[in-house]
Amino acid sequence: MNQPHNESSVSHRGSMTLRPCTLVWLALVGLTLAMLVVGKMGLSGGNVVALLLVATLIKTQLVADIFMGLRQSRLLWRMIVTVYLVGVIGLIGLAWWLGNV
Amino acid sequence: MQQTTALTAGKEDYPPGDFVIWIVIYAELLAFGIFFLSYAFARSQNVELFNASQLELNRTAGAINTLVLITSSYFVVRSIAAIRENLQKQAARWMWAAIGLGSIFIVIKLFEFYTKYDEGITLSSNTFYMFYLSMTFFHFMHVILGLVILTIMATKIRHGDYTAQEHDGMETGANYWHMVDLVWIILFPLVYVIR
Amino acid sequence: MQYQSQMAAKPYFIAAILLFVGQIVFGLIMGLQYVIGDFLFPEIPFNVARMVHTNLLIVWLLFGFMGATYYLVPEEAETELHSTKLAYILFWIFLGAGVVTVLGYLLVPYATLARITGNEILPTMGREFLEQPTIIKIGLVLVILGFLYNTTITILKGRKTVVSWVLLLGLWGLAIFFLFAFYNPHNLVLDKYYWWWVVHLWVEGVWELIMGAILAFVLIKLTGVDREVVEKWLYVIIAMTLLTGIIGTGHHYYWIGTPEYWQWWGSIFSALEPIPFFMMVIFAFNMANKRRRQHPNKAAMLWAIGTPVMAFLGAGVWGFLHTLAPVNFYTHGSQITAAHGHMAFYGAYVMIVLAIISYAMPMLRGRAAANSDKSQVIEMWSFWLMTVSMVFITLFLTGAGILQIWLQRIGENPQSFMVVQEKISLFYWMREVAGVIFLIGLVLYVISFFIGGEERTAPAKA
Repeated sequence: MNQPHNESSVSHRGSMTLRPCTLVWLALVGLTLAMLVVGKMGLSGGNVVALLLVATLIKTQLVADIFMGLRQSRLLWRMIVTVYLVGVIGLIGLAWWLGNV
Repeated sequence: MQQTTALTAGKEDYPPGDFVIWIVIYAELLAFGIFFLSYAFARSQNVELFNASQLELNRTAGAINTLVLITSSYFVVRSIAAIRENLQKQAARWMWAAIGLGSIFIVIKLFEFYTKYDEGITLSSNTFYMFYLSMTFFHFMHVILGLVILTIMATKIRHGDYTAQEHDGMETGANYWHMVDLVWIILFPLVYVIR
Repeated sequence: MQYQSQMAAKPYFIAAILLFVGQIVFGLIMGLQYVIGDFLFPEIPFNVARMVHTNLLIVWLLFGFMGATYYLVPEEAETELHSTKLAYILFWIFLGAGVVTVLGYLLVPYATLARITGNEILPTMGREFLEQPTIIKIGLVLVILGFLYNTTITILKGRKTVVSWVLLLGLWGLAIFFLFAFYNPHNLVLDKYYWWWVVHLWVEGVWELIMGAILAFVLIKLTGVDREVVEKWLYVIIAMTLLTGIIGTGHHYYWIGTPEYWQWWGSIFSALEPIPFFMMVIFAFNMANKRRRQHPNKAAMLWAIGTPVMAFLGAGVWGFLHTLAPVNFYTHGSQITAAHGHMAFYGAYVMIVLAIISYAMPMLRGRAAANSDKSQVIEMWSFWLMTVSMVFITLFLTGAGILQIWLQRIGENPQSFMVVQEKISLFYWMREVAGVIFLIGLVLYVISFFIGGEERTAPAKA
């Protein structure tokens, strides 16, 4: 149950290689800042919303896979979250489309 | 256990942490999911109102809070990574840092709630605000519970209750916190940005 | 049975079963009055029959919960009950009050009952399910306080287990929420608002904790599964019950004059209320699969497995059916509600009480671990007769409800209540037939206690 996870076994402490979790953190920060810019500019429209939703999907899947460690577990457990994310985010997109088009 | 591990090419049967926490996580995700979709479809019936009210929100506060939660989650990951190498001191430091960030989330959110309260906004103001207040408050309560869990974990690290071999409890609590983070990652664009 | 004081449970269980029979008899009377309006008029008018039917249900379930507690607590706490004497005294007071109340309903007009019991001093009467005279309500509070004192002290001095804590939490919640029965504001909206704090927060909140605890106890005993596993499940079930149940109260607030956000809160949170019941199903089957021994009391196992399944169907599925505000707009106060109410009460609370009685009674009566095979066969017959007929009662009432809503509320030319009642009377007849079969099942249940034969002894290893 408690074998070291990838990040600690792959990364060599003291070397310049970034841990996968650090890369994920940077990606999450970058995508959030991008979203803030979109929000501040008050952008709207199908393409913008699609990009925002895809970014949300990527962010949440990264949290689930790397932070929560689902990448290491059996497919079933990971798929429940993925199906959920695709479902919820997809339906949010559908609802937006219903309201705005 | 050894055999199944070999068969599934290094995959473990269950995700990290106690499997009961996963039942909780899935149930919580379901709860938030229903909230999100109710919001989304209620919005599609009343786009103008939602768009107008959304402009009154503090997007910067929302984004900062997203960064705060993401970073807090990251710190918890680092705390566990430290425990896996039996570095209790470092693990405790990461954990307390995560708790500090979680507390900043609380402060910013309270500031946001106060602003809205000051403007005379209530659950009955309109449907957008009903959702905004309900969802963020529901999430807020989860952050508080998460902070309690993290604090318990931090003290247990100090007492040396977790080791590289035995830290299931820590993974359990950590995953609850990641769930709180994950939900906010959807909530932020949905309520603050998408229009 | 390990502790002498567990015997205190016995009179409670017997009273529960007797009152259960009474409840069903009055149910059948009402069921007939649905189609033959003047049946037994003026001796037992419909409103009185209904009051007796619902009040008896609550009272006998309380007897069942108390009996279950007296049986369970000494064994969990590994110590004798604080005071067996108090348990017996409270039993007679409670039974006396219950019988007097029912006789009051039947023998004098309700208004007279209110007058002679001094209702005007502290008016609490006249509200559905809380019809009891104020003085009886006060007596009930005293009985419950004595009961809580007795069991809490016992648990505090003995071994503390998660099962007994959850049970205690549920019982204290039951007592605290009942206090809202004494709050009777003039504003009708406020009145209804707090009335649900008794009614809803009992059955969709604290009673679920009681049910979870009793179910866990019975399953531990029957399957021999590790306590640790059971406790984890209990924690999750309680958390989900309280999370969904408390705000889920909102599904009663849609049309009584409360702010509009209740329509969202009620819809969203009560849509999640099936989750804890679903977890109980998984929990029960999990325990049954992991069982370490083959307990000779097969009938008790059947009840224990049947409980979460029927509770999930009745409370979970049939509740969800009409819980969303846009649906409930059409369905509230129709036969759909009655369908849900019947199966939910049967699945969640009747069955859990019968499960613990089935498990405990053989031992309380000085038999071995279980009744004879012959007796168990009869009991299992009663399980299937009652359960299947309850499914049919629910289906018939659902059919009646759908038709009623259509004719009365949705269709092109909405028709009046009584006209519609006439048109759906076939469903009521079928429901009555199913009700008679239910009574036969119940009688068999009672008979099974009197069947002797060679008793089954200690659990054999699987």
